[in-house]
Amino acid sequence: MERVVITGVGVVSPVGSGKDQFWHALLTGKSGIGPVRSFDTSAYPVHIGAEVHDFEPAPYFKRLDPTGICRASQMAVAAARMALADAGLERLPEDRRRVGVSMGTTSGEAECIEHYNDARKESGDLAKAGPALAAYPSHMIPRHVAIELDLHGPCVMIPAACAAGNFAVGYGLDAIRMGRADMMISGGADRFTRIPYTGFARLGAIAPERCQPFDRNRKGMVPGEGAAAIVLERREAALGRGARIYAEILGYGVSCDSHHMTAAHPQGDGAIRAMQAAMRESGVTIDNIDYISAHGTGTPTNDRVEAMAVKTLFGERAGKVPMSSIKSMLGHTMGAASAIEAVACALALASGWVPPTINHEIPDEDCTLDFVPNKAREIGPRVLLNNAYAFGGNNASVCLKRYEA
Amino acid sequence: MSREATRVVVTGVGVISPLGAGLADFEQRLYAGESAVRPSAQFSGATTAEVTAELTTWLGNKGVRVLDRTARLLSVATHLALCDAGIERPTEDGPEIGLVYGTMFGSMRSITSFDWTSVTEGPSYVSPMEFPNTVISSPGGQAAIKYGLRGVNSTICAGPAAALHALNIAAEFIRFGRAGAILAGGAEELCQEALYSFQHRGLLSPRGVARPFATDRDGTALGEGSALWMLESEDGAAARGRAPSVEILGFGESQDSQTTAECAAEAMRQALANSQISPDQVACIIAAASGSPTVDDAEARALFAVFNDDVPVCAPKATFGEAMGASGAFSAIVGALALHRQTLAPTPGATGAGLLSPEARKIAGDYAMINAASYDGNFASLIVRAWSGPGGNETSHAGI
Repeated sequence: MERVVITGVGVVSPVGSGKDQFWHALLTGKSGIGPVRSFDTSAYPVHIGAEVHDFEPAPYFKRLDPTGICRASQMAVAAARMALADAGLERLPEDRRRVGVSMGTTSGEAECIEHYNDARKESGDLAKAGPALAAYPSHMIPRHVAIELDLHGPCVMIPAACAAGNFAVGYGLDAIRMGRADMMISGGADRFTRIPYTGFARLGAIAPERCQPFDRNRKGMVPGEGAAAIVLERREAALGRGARIYAEILGYGVSCDSHHMTAAHPQGDGAIRAMQAAMRESGVTIDNIDYISAHGTGTPTNDRVEAMAVKTLFGERAGKVPMSSIKSMLGHTMGAASAIEAVACALALASGWVPPTINHEIPDEDCTLDFVPNKAREIGPRVLLNNAYAFGGNNASVCLKRYEA
Repeated sequence: MSREATRVVVTGVGVISPLGAGLADFEQRLYAGESAVRPSAQFSGATTAEVTAELTTWLGNKGVRVLDRTARLLSVATHLALCDAGIERPTEDGPEIGLVYGTMFGSMRSITSFDWTSVTEGPSYVSPMEFPNTVISSPGGQAAIKYGLRGVNSTICAGPAAALHALNIAAEFIRFGRAGAILAGGAEELCQEALYSFQHRGLLSPRGVARPFATDRDGTALGEGSALWMLESEDGAAARGRAPSVEILGFGESQDSQTTAECAAEAMRQALANSQISPDQVACIIAAASGSPTVDDAEARALFAVFNDDVPVCAPKATFGEAMGASGAFSAIVGALALHRQTLAPTPGATGAGLLSPEARKIAGDYAMINAASYDGNFASLIVRAWSGPGGNETSHAGI
């Protein structure tokens, strides 16, 4: 089996864009959450979000006109270009048929739908509003990345909601292992829109002030936006071109709860099966896992079930494996979340440091694991799991390993 | 794909399409040369191919009200495919069954309606019950809950090429040993929003026709529906005593900033190479052609570049329209039927000149190539082979 490694990372996030700014923010516990600026929240019971305020798309575009495409695509292109530059690939391999793109999302270019509905309301004329929908299909996000970067290999969108980033990374891994590509740019993108904000607000799932995963007083999640991309390539090819290797992707596992559209399985059945499948495929056991990147959205039930699943699976070892949620800082960037977390995992493996769960003050007796409260820690992780869970009961775990020559 | 890899076979089919519900209706009307493309009663001024069957016939009424149309279509295909594969409702102790399907717009109708309530009445008036339907992958989650599907649950978007991608991704999961059985195919509902999206990209035929490869073609007409194949490992099917109908072979895909002949030819050549067969072994081709002036032209030129001029071609979108996320799955069934009957379905409206025939045609061989194209530069090809068993000649009609 081909061994596949990560050689580049790119990120657009509420705590900063670009690897250095992003990683510094995570290790210093900076929060990207604040009052929503994208739209008027006066009709909502909550008013905070995790938006990206400093994103300027133009510098990342050479072929496409960024003003002609929507924001999720813009952020995806930016993350992909950063990842390529980070991988030392300003000049791509000659055969572009061997380089592909896989992306995940929750809402895709939902702003098209919002423009359509706004125009309908304003004009009262459906047909006049119609043009806003031309750019909607979500596969245009990876297509825009591929067109901008002139990549002709495998290209798909896997809109697996809040686990989409892990699905896209898994696809990238498979495309290389199956010999369909030599290199994949995999990640996720979602922009801040009123549609998920409305939905989460109506579910009563949004925290009023801050995001406190696994804390006893946690009050909910905070919707966010962002994009991330990682460059995956065959280990031998990476070594051959003298690339810096962040980490190796050992395998992944996916499952479906088949239980409820929005509520996690009460015993964490699907989450456990996804972790087991990822470890089985990776040839590791719970004793090898040094760190878990939690899904950790901050909602009372999901955090409890997630902690329970880890306790059930890891048994006595559970409390000894640090598990943190960077959503405490970034909010929930939806389809981008597990891709952004993959970047954090790659940086953790390369640096030895793991980011904290901030706003973690009072332990919850239902969640008694080591959540790396409030302060980053140097633990030198060798193998870790990146977990993500989604509406529809979708669970995805990716297993990553520190690169060892 | 290497020849040593686990072989992936088809042991069941579920199809709900403008040609009716179930394989028998699909086959009968396909081979009768009917076209379901006609003026829409539902969408003013549009020409469409619509599913007219009453979906609650299969779904019952319990818990169905909350499902949007894409989820209902996908659920009917799931139900039919499970029945055809001889699998009772999967249980928690039984083997995991997955669901991997392609869609172009996914939940667009639901997301638009959800947001419309919020815009016109205010965010506190939307129903939280409807929120889960807004995520693009919701039909897959809904079908998984309804039918107890606990394996991989993945929604694939690649425009109208999505279902072929989904079939290949599911096959790769099985080849990896990561899954034993996966329902794979596509699903799409026809809605006003999809019509606008196509119309404003200049893709719909102003005359309201879908005439693949015709010299006077001017765009396409939209269809809808869902089709799923039950894919299993060869060993898994044998252990259940199921005789497969066809086997999934190689896949190829290519992209450019627009669909070109080179891009289409590249996808076809990759599919052939990954199947380890030569062009002259292909008995028939199920074309992606939908009436698009540019994409049909690219596909036709690629076919002439890769194959002999006399390879039989069928363009079934003349029959069921451009069914978007479901197209590739419908086309895959057309290919499997051709192999089983050794007769390629007719293309209604074809003149007989050029690639297509208005009559059913005899073919000879075990391999069919299925093509799919998005309208933005993604072209995909998948090859299926009539199942001949590890050494014998056991074949089945099941799951064509």
